[in-house]
Order: sequence, then C-alpha cells, then structure tokens
Amino acid sequence: MVYRWLRDLHLYFGLFVSPFVLLFAVSVFYLNHGKLRPGTPPPSEAFHNLQIPDGFDRLKGREAAELAQHILPQVGVSGEIGFLRYVARDRHLIFPVSIAGLESTVDVDLDGRSALVMRRHMNVWESLSYLHKMPGPHNVAIRGNWVGIQVWRWLADATIYLLLFISLSGIYLWWTIKAERRIGLTLAAGGIVTFFGLVYAVIR
Amino acid sequence: MPSYAKAFEVWNRKLHYYLGLYFLFFLWLFSATGLMLNHQQWFGDLYRRAETAYDTPIETPDGDTLAARTRDLMRQLGLQGEIDWPATQPVWHIDFNVSRPNGAAQVRVDLTAKQAYVREFRNRPLHAFQIFHTFSGSRFNQPASERDWMVTSVWVFAMDALALGLVVMVLGSYYMWWQLKKKRTLGAFALAAGLATCGAFVAGIL
Repeated sequence: MVYRWLRDLHLYFGLFVSPFVLLFAVSVFYLNHGKLRPGTPPPSEAFHNLQIPDGFDRLKGREAAELAQHILPQVGVSGEIGFLRYVARDRHLIFPVSIAGLESTVDVDLDGRSALVMRRHMNVWESLSYLHKMPGPHNVAIRGNWVGIQVWRWLADATIYLLLFISLSGIYLWWTIKAERRIGLTLAAGGIVTFFGLVYAVIR
Repeated sequence: MPSYAKAFEVWNRKLHYYLGLYFLFFLWLFSATGLMLNHQQWFGDLYRRAETAYDTPIETPDGDTLAARTRDLMRQLGLQGEIDWPATQPVWHIDFNVSRPNGAAQVRVDLTAKQAYVREFRNRPLHAFQIFHTFSGSRFNQPASERDWMVTSVWVFAMDALALGLVVMVLGSYYMWWQLKKKRTLGAFALAAGLATCGAFVAGIL
C-alpha cells in the first residue's frame, strides 16, 4: 500500500516538477560558462504627463518599491523592480524592472512628471538564468514587489520540497529492489566520498 | 518488444536510480542552499564574519604577468582561492582579493616597501555552506570574470555533472512514464500543469 502510494506520488510529482528541474539544470551551464557581452544601448522611449506619487524623497525599501509600481502601467512596463536609486540633486528616480525575456530601465523625472524607458531583450539563456536566480539573496527588503516573483518564489520553493520528497521516495523505491541494493549502495558511497572530498578541497 | 528496446528500458531504469543515488548529496546541498538563498530573512546573522588584519614583509614577487605575480604573493602569504583584481592598480602596488566559500582576504601589496597589508575574513559555517551554491568563479554578466583556481574548476565540473545528470534523469523518466499505459492520462495532466506553469514564466507572461 505504502509502496504503491509512494511510487505514484514519485511519478506524478516528478512529472509536474520536471519542467522546473529542467529549467534549473539547463540554466546552470549558462551561469557557469556563459558570457553576456555588452551590446549597443537600446533606444529610449519618452513618456510625459505621468501621475507621480509623492514621497520618493523620504520613503525607502518596500514602501518606495510599492510606490514605484504605480508608475509602471503608465510607461507600459510590468515586472520586478530590482532596486531603486533616488538622485536628490535633480530629483530623478532610476530603477530596473525585469521579467524573463525583458529588462527595462526606467528613469523618472519626478518634477517634470516624465520618464525615459530603455528596454533590453534577454536571450533565452539569460531568461532561464534570470528565473534561476530569482528571488535570490539580494535586496531582500524589496524582493517580491511584483506578483510574478511572489508566485515564482512559491514555485521555486515547491520545486525544492518536491525534489526532496522525490529523492527520499526514490531511495525507498530503490531499496525495495533487493538485487540492486549492493550496486546502489556502492554508487551512493561513491557519491558521498566525491561530495565530501570536493567540499574538503574547497574549504581546507 | 525487440531485445534492444528491452535492454534500453532496463538500463534507462537503472540509470535513473544510479544517477539519483550518486548525486544524492549534491542534490540535497543545492536544494538546501537554494532555499537559503531565497529566504535570507530566516538567517539574521548569516553574513557576520570574523576579521583579522595584519601586515607582513614579502619578497618581490616572481612572474611576467599580474596573475603570475599575484599567485606568487598568495604562495608567500599562504592564501588560496579565486582571485579578483580591482579595475586599476596603484603604481608599484599589487592589490587583489581572494575568496572561497569559508572566507576571503583583501590584500594590498606595496612593492617598494616589500610589505603586504592583509585583511582576512572568516565566514560562518552556514554562510560558507550557502556560497557553495554560487561558487563558480565566473559571472555571466561580468565578461572579464574568469576562474583562476583549479579547485573552483573541479567544483564547477561537479555542478555541470549534476545538471547533466538531472536532465538525463528527467528525460529517462518521461520514457518510463510513457511505458505505463494506465498512468498516461493522469501523468499527462501533471506534466501539462508543470509545463504550463513553468512555461508562463519562461515566456514572460508572468
């Protein structure tokens, strides 16, 4: 009974999570070996007569990001704000906004109620790597300021929890095949020796 | 079923759990550290590190290139890790940073005075553990960054091997699922749900 349940859950959870596993696995090659060469800066598009909320000169972190999200529909941009830079000297607010496939840089003139938007398209590898790294450890205070990344964070966590379940249920399913125990144990031991050997080499 | 198809089915199944067992600890490391990277709020003191500063005499470093001279200095100072140089070097100085998961060092060498000024940082074990996830010595958005420590290259090879192993396991699992005729319909729903959800993000819809 337990065996059948575990086998079925291993299969169905595995199938559901498999596109995410492929995304995280394939993007590793670009993260480890790819190089993004800077190209010519994309042309910028101007927007005028914007409704600019007050408070960018005093708000920081999450509150400022939520306020900046109100500007985005007016300049035809949606996505996760990476960080916010308020330039007090000329009262400009500059921030990057990303979704997979597109990175926009928004430069808002708060007093002039206008904005310049530069859009840079990502290649497929960069898009996969972007998703791989989201939400990530940087700018934690404002991360998840867009609903897409809030959902993606949940899915990335689900991928990890499901992978842990799949690996543990996989061990159980392998252990039931008595003829495969010896070679399986040998491979697992080989993996453990390789793993700890590498970790030791890196930190010694 | 032809014998070669039978052999493929048997070996595909074996490969699935052989790869899974071999890479088990690697998978758990990247899973746990992935969770840490996405939930920094769970770890308040993660980035607090012990610092020691000292200066020490050095010999004029050997070598024709900046990299060779830096490696000679690292040998003299007993440092190991990935090297990172600032964009410009002061005259008669060699400045560099060295990093590895469990720590880092900032080194400023005055070649005229034959003196090295070193600040060493020791990361907490949990922080060191987290760095293994991203320890590749290269950043795709910094074209100048390159791996220069052999140990990093070996670790990157292990990361690549795990990624390739996962791809083989996933593709092999599709074949095994398809052979189970009774499970095709429900499996197709599970796979379609995963593809639609993940695909929406890759396509930039979400």
